[in-house]
Parts: sequence; C-alpha cells; structure tokens
Amino acid sequence: MEGLIAFWSESGIANFTPGQLLMMGVGCLLLFLAIAKGFEPLLLLPIGFGAILANIPNGGFTDEGGLLYFAYHVGIETGIFPLLIFMGVGALTDFGALIANPKMLLLGAAAQFGIFATLLGAIGLNLVPGFEFSMQDAAAIAIIGGADGPTAIFLASKLAPDLLGAIAVAAYSYMALVPLIQPPIMRLLTTESERKIKMEQLREVSKKEKIIFPLMVLGLTILFLPAATPLVGMFCLGNLMRESGVVDRLSNTAQNELINIVTIFLGLAVGSKLSADQFLQIETLGILVLGAVAFGIGTATGVLMAKLMSKLSGGKINPLLGAAGVSAVPMAARVVNKVGLEANNQNFLLMHAMGPNVAGVLGSAVAAGVLLAVLG
Amino acid sequence: METISEQLTDALGIMILGMSLVFVFLGILILGMKLVAKKYAPVPQEKATVNARQPAVTKPAVSPLMAAVIASAIHQHRQKA
Repeated sequence: MEGLIAFWSESGIANFTPGQLLMMGVGCLLLFLAIAKGFEPLLLLPIGFGAILANIPNGGFTDEGGLLYFAYHVGIETGIFPLLIFMGVGALTDFGALIANPKMLLLGAAAQFGIFATLLGAIGLNLVPGFEFSMQDAAAIAIIGGADGPTAIFLASKLAPDLLGAIAVAAYSYMALVPLIQPPIMRLLTTESERKIKMEQLREVSKKEKIIFPLMVLGLTILFLPAATPLVGMFCLGNLMRESGVVDRLSNTAQNELINIVTIFLGLAVGSKLSADQFLQIETLGILVLGAVAFGIGTATGVLMAKLMSKLSGGKINPLLGAAGVSAVPMAARVVNKVGLEANNQNFLLMHAMGPNVAGVLGSAVAAGVLLAVLG
Repeated sequence: METISEQLTDALGIMILGMSLVFVFLGILILGMKLVAKKYAPVPQEKATVNARQPAVTKPAVSPLMAAVIASAIHQHRQKA
C-alpha cells in the first residue's frame, strides 16, 4: 500500500499545476499548427514538443543536468545555435536576384522600420500598468518585426534572456502566419493596376560577382558595424562556401545535415522556455501583440517604399515587392508571387521578390547589429 | 511618468539612428555592387553579341557565290551520271 501511495505521489496526475496543463495545451496547439495546418512544421513541431517536455511535473528535463537545460545553455544562451542556423541560411541563399537588381536593397532597408517603430511601441506600453519593459527588452521584442527567427533569438539571448521563449514563439508563429498577415496589408496599400505591373527579366550574374558579394558585405560590416559581425560573418561564410564552388561538401553539410541537427535542438531548447512560470505572464501577451504590430508595420513600410520607387522609376517596379522586404525567406516572396498572380495570372514575381527578400535578411541583421551596438 | 517620456525620447533617437544606419549601410552596399557589376560585367551579354554576329557573317557568305558554285557542281555531277 505504501508503495502504491509513493507511486501515486510521483505520478504526473498528482503533481500537475493548472499552469503546466495550460502550457501543455499550448504545446499541443503548436503541434496541431505544425502537423495539421503545415505552419513552419520544421520549427513549430520541435518547439511544441519541447513545450510539452518542459512542463512535465517531476520530468526534470529543464532542471540542471537535464537534456533541455543543456541544450538551452550550450546552444542558445551562448548564441551558437542561431549563428549556426545563419551559416546554413547563408549556404542556402542565392543572392543572384539581388545582385542583378541592387536597388532592391532599399526595400529590405525600408521594411526594417517595423523593428524600430515597435521599439517605440514597447516603451509606450510601459504606460499600461503591469508592463515594465527596459530598453533592452523593448529592442529584443522589436526585432520580431524583422521576421527572422535566428536573428530574433540571437538578439533576445543577448539583450533579454528572460523574454526569449515568448519572443522566439512570437517570431516563428508570425513567420508561419506570413500568408495570412501580409496580403490584406498589401492589397490595402496598392491599386489593382499597380499589382498588375510586370517587371523586366533580370540580367544574368557572373560567378565572380557572386563570390565578391559575401566578402563585400563582410568587409562593410567589419568597417561600420562590428556588432553585427557574428550574424553577418556566419551568413557570409555559408554563402561563400556555396558560391565559391570549391567546398561543395561543406556547403552541402551546412545547408542540410548541420542546419537540420541544429534546428532540432534549437526548437527543443526554445520550447523548454515555454514553462508555465516563465510564459504565463502579462508581458507575453504584450510581446505577442507588439510582434504582430511590428510585422504589419514592416510590411507596410516596405510596400510604401516600393510604391515610391515605382513612381520614381516610371512604373517599372511592382509595389508588391516591398512586402518581401521583411526577411521570412522564402515565404514572403511566395506571398508576393501569389498576390501578383491574383491580379494578373501571367505575372510571375517570385524571382524578383527574392531580391528584396534576401535584402531583408541583411537588413534585419544590420538592424540587430545597430541595436546590439547601442544597447548591448 | 518622466522616466517613460525620457525612455520614449531615447527610443525615438534609436529609431532615427537605426533607420538611417540601415539605409546608409545598404546604400553603400548598392554602390559597391554597382562597381563590382561594372568591373565583372555579366559574360552572357558578350556571348550574345558574338552569337548575333556569327550568323550575320555566315549567311551572306553562303548564299550568293557559294550557292551558285554548289548548284553548278550538283548540275555537272548529275549530267555525268
């Protein structure tokens, strides 16, 4: 009988707190979104499962010595996981569309306004009782507007580790929701005839240009923004491995096996931050709201900038391209393509949208570097 | 309240600084890319001009004189047979 009581007192049923059950529900919701709805399954599945593991009473996954504890401390607290992911993204990224049309960098820059506007918004939220965001917290929340998961995690781990779970979940869920959030904003800010604009075919790009590009980006970062070199440096390394063509083995590993392995542990470790005591706070709600606002503003300023460039160029640029200025590669570019096709079923904008899209990755890395340099 | 308004001014400052830095950085990058594009101009354009020239040279060379020669050669050959 005593043994039975001891067994019962160790069981999950006897030890659940309401908060843990709720967070397991959140984990299950993330799993549902990943499996049934196909929203960013590569990330939401491990994050959702991590959330369930982290909230098991007496499970010990997140206690000192547990698997998730180590995954978090080794990979995220040090900033290593997001940087390895960034190297893989660099190896996956073809800058050809951007090199062929460098002006698209301006769209990637304009879309970063969402980040800085949200910085203001997060501080403004302090007027509401219950919110106390420091400038560092606000910056880490604002970077959600860059729509770049690894950048958001990297910055949050440096500036506001306490908010990391909420920020990572917000960043990745909004990236998954790009096809729902962006189109209404894009349609609101453009006219039917603007959406129909067809663009000239992109010129071809030589191999030398592609090899020089990452080196040039790195050089500029070294000169002007050393704080961004961890992010940009790893990104450029991945891209140089891809474009140089002499280390195909390394490039393949970076864009396949390595990024996959890191993604599993990154997802689990982020999920482990979804424990009831850390996540169920009023700040989380604020972060989710601010993240959506940041994202919306970024999309809007990108489109407005593209409209301006379209006017100045005499209608050669389709304003929809601006929406791809938020990173979220390649989801945002696909959304631009889809909305463009709705207006004109012969208008394929995908390749053109990849330019501002990869420019957005650079733009958000630069913005993160600025925030790190000023507040870090 | 004062601290919040101070913070807001700080945030506004960071916003202006941040956006201008992002634009300046990417603006310089655009200039750099244009320079690189000038120096290492895309090869396919040169190829296209070469291709355009070749048929222009070969076509007239074949048609007037050679055609007549070939035609007469065939004619002679058939007569022999």
